[in-house]
Amino acid sequence: MKKINRRQLLQGMVTGAGCVAAASMFGSAAFAADTRIRHFWWGNPSRDERTYKVIDLFKNANPGFDVAGETIGWGDYWTKMATQTAGKNMADLVQMDYRFLFEYVHRGALLPLDEYFGKTLHLEDFDKSAIAGGMVDGKLYALNIGSNSQVMIYNKRLFAEAGIEFDPIKWNQAEQMDIAKKLSASTPKGVHGIDDATMNPIVWEAWTQQRGKTFYADGKVQAVAADLESFWEYWKEMRESGAAPSADVSVANLGFKMTESGIVTGATAMSQFWSNQIVGVQSLMKDEIGAAMLAHKKGGMPGQFIKPSMFMALTRDTKNPELATKYMNAWVNDPAQTAILGLERGVPASSKVRAALEPNLTVSEKVSVDYFNAIQSSVGPLPPPPPKGAGEVNAAFIRMGTNVILGRISIKDGAAEFIDEASSIVERAS
Amino acid sequence: MRKFFVRNLPGYAFLTPWLLGFFLLALGPMLISLYLSFTKWDMVGDPQWVGLAQYEYMFLKDKRFWQSLDVTFTYVILAVPARLAFALMIAIVLDKGIRKIGIYRALYYLPSILGASIAIAILWREIFNIDGVVNAVLINFGIQGPNWIGNPDTSLYTLVVLAMWQFGSPMLIFLAGLRNIPTELYEAAEIDAASKAKQFFSITLPLLAPVLFFNIILQTIEAFKTFSSAFIISNGDGSPADSLLFFTIYLFNEAFTYFRMGYASALAWTLLIIIGLFTAVSFYTSKYWVYYENERD
Repeated sequence: MKKINRRQLLQGMVTGAGCVAAASMFGSAAFAADTRIRHFWWGNPSRDERTYKVIDLFKNANPGFDVAGETIGWGDYWTKMATQTAGKNMADLVQMDYRFLFEYVHRGALLPLDEYFGKTLHLEDFDKSAIAGGMVDGKLYALNIGSNSQVMIYNKRLFAEAGIEFDPIKWNQAEQMDIAKKLSASTPKGVHGIDDATMNPIVWEAWTQQRGKTFYADGKVQAVAADLESFWEYWKEMRESGAAPSADVSVANLGFKMTESGIVTGATAMSQFWSNQIVGVQSLMKDEIGAAMLAHKKGGMPGQFIKPSMFMALTRDTKNPELATKYMNAWVNDPAQTAILGLERGVPASSKVRAALEPNLTVSEKVSVDYFNAIQSSVGPLPPPPPKGAGEVNAAFIRMGTNVILGRISIKDGAAEFIDEASSIVERAS
Repeated sequence: MRKFFVRNLPGYAFLTPWLLGFFLLALGPMLISLYLSFTKWDMVGDPQWVGLAQYEYMFLKDKRFWQSLDVTFTYVILAVPARLAFALMIAIVLDKGIRKIGIYRALYYLPSILGASIAIAILWREIFNIDGVVNAVLINFGIQGPNWIGNPDTSLYTLVVLAMWQFGSPMLIFLAGLRNIPTELYEAAEIDAASKAKQFFSITLPLLAPVLFFNIILQTIEAFKTFSSAFIISNGDGSPADSLLFFTIYLFNEAFTYFRMGYASALAWTLLIIIGLFTAVSFYTSKYWVYYENERD
């Protein structure tokens, strides 16, 4: 090796250090052809396979037109979406989530669908509530392509072995506590009753709604520290009684991956999910699973709600809205296409499609549809759309929950600090 | 002037690809990000000029900014000396004329090549997980190990160990430096009956100073920029409880999770200035402890 002197060293250094600040911007080439539309969704292997099949069906039925499918995981989806939006290069049709719908509409990135009603888009068989979920300022901006609700999935074998009988739709939190304790006591060592929800913002949101508040109201945080304290105390009892796993085990699944959830790994007998995940969870398990509501508060308000799990929306960058809405229409109405899509994205909003799917459902799909039908009268109204910054608040909840579960902060201080932090996050984001 | 251009034109023509890359991919985006750091921009609308507001928020109000500095500095202070000490140790062992040294060098360099990869980060997660390899070994000694990665008190140290393991590239540089130390010096020291330790501190270390300095600077800059391993191990958001909130992870989240490009740009420039300051101070102090053989003043 050559000896280095001071000047050479300095030169090397300057070239090396320069690149830190440069944020890279990526965008893909624009496709301007009018006979071609792009459809962009967040997916998983099963969803992607179904969607590409549907795209092929549509192309065969409409010769001369082309549909390009683009897919990516949830984690990177919104990053790619934001860069494409900034680059004025959005796909014609994008998959949308309730949380982000209002942001994108208010930024002018989406187009209303009302003018295509009765022409290229037919929604006569749609549930009224499913249409209402996609409305912003009185106009329909997002087509419901599936609904879901919170669910507590339970392992039927472990329940039977522990001799537990319960009403999965009506049960309350005191019963949940007893059942979880009983399960832990009667199952082999290392198997617990229920996943600890201390770090789970979805279970917490239901808890606060059962106590008459929504997480957010009028674009501000409405939840209060007292409810959060009682929530964390409840799960502390679960943990300390052995009904839920130890804190060290619970913090191992901070990524909330389905494959690492307690019910799938066999560490617990109950885990919380969204109802369109029932089929996915069952496919990962040998034991038969059942679906229960999140336990109610005795004499409280409904904590759960039915929420559009996914939408399809038309973007301002589309070159051929007629073709795009025709594609949308086939997606939610065409018998062959809806049969392929099944329940993978949630329960379809069209009653006609649901009736057509009914006879061919698999066992776990039937669990999912039966659950969906059973909860209809026990759920509350859809809460108002969360304000900007809600995603960040969830991350803050998980952070504070981690500190609470590990005893790094007291429940009282943690609850007060979280509500403060949530308020300032929402304030900053607005 | 004209003559100058005509004569140098072929040179510039050959430089064009690099120049294009530099202006379009490095300097251009850097200047844009400098501008953005004085704005509020969510990537969809137009950037709004806010002056120094982003920097004001960063230094005065943002607790997570200070947390990310805390994590990053702790890591730099622990990981850089640990990695360099380890690299130097291995380099000295390998310098002793072992047979088939090429194989050993390649072998020891391997983790550094792999280390930057996603697969190793995932492997690391599994090793230090609650039911991972480390705890499986510990249980043989009757110790129930903690959840190394999931516990905010230990998570950062697993990354320091990872950094230590990736000692390959500084080791190679040390090895080259060691080869350059004239053997006469050691022979003379042997004759004077100097101990091995004395030889190390009086011959090896001073003569290795320029190489050591080079390694310190490069490794520190590298450590400040740590991203991919921390990103994988922390689920991409610095968890558990922000204990792995490296500066770069915070920056990435602000930019691509919460779409605050203005704030993220301000963070990026702050990091650049921190690294720049560190490097400047190192260079300034180096003249007191780094000796260059071929220096003439």
